[in-house]
Amino acid sequence: MDIKAYIESGVIENYVLGLASEEENAEINRLRVNYPDIDFAIDRFSTDLELQLNSSSVTPPAYIKERIFESLTFQNTFKGRYLYTEKGDQLHTPVIPLKKHVFTWKWMAAASFLLLMISSVFNFLLYNRYSDKNDAYQALLSEKNSLFAANKVYQVSQKEWELTSKMMSDPSMVLIRMKTTPGKNNKDATVFWDSKTKEVYLVANELPHPEMGKQFQLWAIVDGKPVDAGIVDKNCTGICKMKNTTRAQAFAITLEKQGGNPNPTMEQLMVMGTI
Amino acid sequence: MNNGITYAESELVLLLKQRNESAYSYLYDHYAGSLYAIILNIVPDRELANDLLQEVFIKIWKQIDSYDPTKGRLFTWMLNISRNASIDAVRSKSYQQSQKNRELTEHADNVNSVHTNTDKIGLRAIVNKLKDDYKVLVELSYFEGYTQDEISKMLKIPLGTVKTRLRNALIQLKQVIKS
Repeated sequence: MDIKAYIESGVIENYVLGLASEEENAEINRLRVNYPDIDFAIDRFSTDLELQLNSSSVTPPAYIKERIFESLTFQNTFKGRYLYTEKGDQLHTPVIPLKKHVFTWKWMAAASFLLLMISSVFNFLLYNRYSDKNDAYQALLSEKNSLFAANKVYQVSQKEWELTSKMMSDPSMVLIRMKTTPGKNNKDATVFWDSKTKEVYLVANELPHPEMGKQFQLWAIVDGKPVDAGIVDKNCTGICKMKNTTRAQAFAITLEKQGGNPNPTMEQLMVMGTI
Repeated sequence: MNNGITYAESELVLLLKQRNESAYSYLYDHYAGSLYAIILNIVPDRELANDLLQEVFIKIWKQIDSYDPTKGRLFTWMLNISRNASIDAVRSKSYQQSQKNRELTEHADNVNSVHTNTDKIGLRAIVNKLKDDYKVLVELSYFEGYTQDEISKMLKIPLGTVKTRLRNALIQLKQVIKS
């Protein structure tokens, strides 16, 4: 390519004066990269043009400069790029909305903090109320449990009394009151003997609590001989079912070793009663 | 505001991009006259030319970041901004309307006070030294902003001829500028 001819063809001036078409601009921009002479010619003509136009310039009215500079806001600092604005220009006033933004953020941060504080206070109050309610609930719960337990106790004793009253009102039921033997504690015990079913019940709650390793044992006296009628369960507090006894003339209770004895220890005779 | 400082062009561009006031003041003091002349070459109306000069400087301020020194000199860039702003103004409806009114008024009063004879200023001072054939082409393309295609249709000359003739006109223009 004849660069010299190209440079002198008028394309450089066409380009610098802004008269070139898109294609012509693209072409010269592409060529100037590889041909420094083109670059040089562009700069040469631009400089000549600048000098020429400078010599044929017209001084504008003085107030125009003032007017222009009033409408611009300068950044008179060298610390790099800053936001800048042109007064009254909507497109180039990013600073004002930005400031508003910062302002809004500050307010939002303050409002958030305030809400957090209010929320904390409410949380604290509500937690306290929750704790109080929870304590009250626990108290009610244990009260309910103790009432429930007490109710069970009453039910058991109620049943016992029902049974007792049933036994006592039964015409076939024989009641044997066993008296304390002299020298023992003044405590009685009662045997209910059903003459029909031969069932034996003992109400021994007045007897003293036996010492460790000992148990009370009920004996039926049949024809002068003691027959085992059952060991008194330590846990039985009301009416205790004993062994069925077909016939007896008397009942007696002795204190025996744990598990009972085949024969009564007569020295330990606690109570005795005849039919 | 000219403190007698002179800037190297690269330094001036850097300061302009930082929106430094002294740099803009320097820019105005050194280039406003040349740009004003080009504006007047296209828009003879002083009032409008004044407004355009202000508009051009604000455009320079706004668009300085898009200026690429590797593509050309700062002045060339500003010159093109001035030329384009002026052509846009002349082509605007309001300007066309005001021209019509002016013609009527002039006809009545024969007054030409607000208009400047721009034949001896700016680029016209050079263009006027060209051959008439060339003058027309530069007038239409540079000062009025018509594309070569439009000129070809307007003058009923083949596009190739318009291109060649305009190039020749520019070669001649370059010679005048150099001398």
